[in-house]
Amino acid sequence: MDFLLWYENGPLGAFVRESLWGYPITLSSHAVGMATVMGVVLALNFRVLGYAKNISILAFDRLFLVGWIGFAINLLSGLVLFAGSASSYVFQGTFQLKIGAILVGGVLMKLVMNSVRENKSLTVQKALAATCVACWVVGLVTGRLMAYLV
Amino acid sequence: MNWEPLATWLETTILHEWMVNFYWMFPLMETLHFLGLSIMFGALLLIDCRVLGLGKFINMKAAMAFIPVAIAAFAINLISGILFLAADPFNYLANLVFQWKIALIIIAGINALWFWFGEHEELSRLADGQDAPYRAKVVALISLVIWVLVIIAGRMIPYGPGGSG
Repeated sequence: MDFLLWYENGPLGAFVRESLWGYPITLSSHAVGMATVMGVVLALNFRVLGYAKNISILAFDRLFLVGWIGFAINLLSGLVLFAGSASSYVFQGTFQLKIGAILVGGVLMKLVMNSVRENKSLTVQKALAATCVACWVVGLVTGRLMAYLV
Repeated sequence: MNWEPLATWLETTILHEWMVNFYWMFPLMETLHFLGLSIMFGALLLIDCRVLGLGKFINMKAAMAFIPVAIAAFAINLISGILFLAADPFNYLANLVFQWKIALIIIAGINALWFWFGEHEELSRLADGQDAPYRAKVVALISLVIWVLVIIAGRMIPYGPGGSG
């Protein structure tokens, strides 16, 4: 808690709360990063779920580089937004769920790609992909609803 | 442009009633708008990155299957977008950032038509690993840049000058 208060009261917190453009700019970056990460995750999983079968999944995974760039944008912009009111965000159910969903979703994305590379049965690949999509969608929905629900 | 008659009319529609009377409509539509933009941007990333040369071994013709995905996602966002507009038409239409966003979407739309009518056929014949023509790469780059700007503008609307919403 001391750490959160220290973080919140530091220069990043002031940047987000007090500067004219701090919040809108960080929020916009977070939206662009979100579209990039979610976009890559969704498109890849659609393919694993059986859409556009003529695309080789292993050629597709070059897009991960783009997905990681989006993730980095959102990790950074997320940390800046978090400084806005760190000590209350940590107690917010939607925030906790969002972070949990993203962590699980990230691990599942790795598991999906492993199952493809190891040629696991299509049922396994698809079950993992569907769960992965569900996690990322929960992450997006809870993120958006942080503005409405505690 | 005189948008006041449009705003006045929008406030008389049932869409306005729904958005104002049900408190959960706005957050629900916002959530759908975010999901829609993610699906659409993902589909565009796949196609445009392939054209630009990232993931060159993605089969170009098969990647075109993501065009209907992008169009369906755009439809979700057009509908949810019209609902936001109907909720508070005077503030949106007077908002400079909202006006930019609409202008950018129109430019992106023209660019997409150019892609479809000017590049799509030639691109569909690309072999796996083959470089796309220079002109198609320009179209793909414009597409990504404009849609990123659309997302930024959308997120900036509440802070835009003109409206008070």
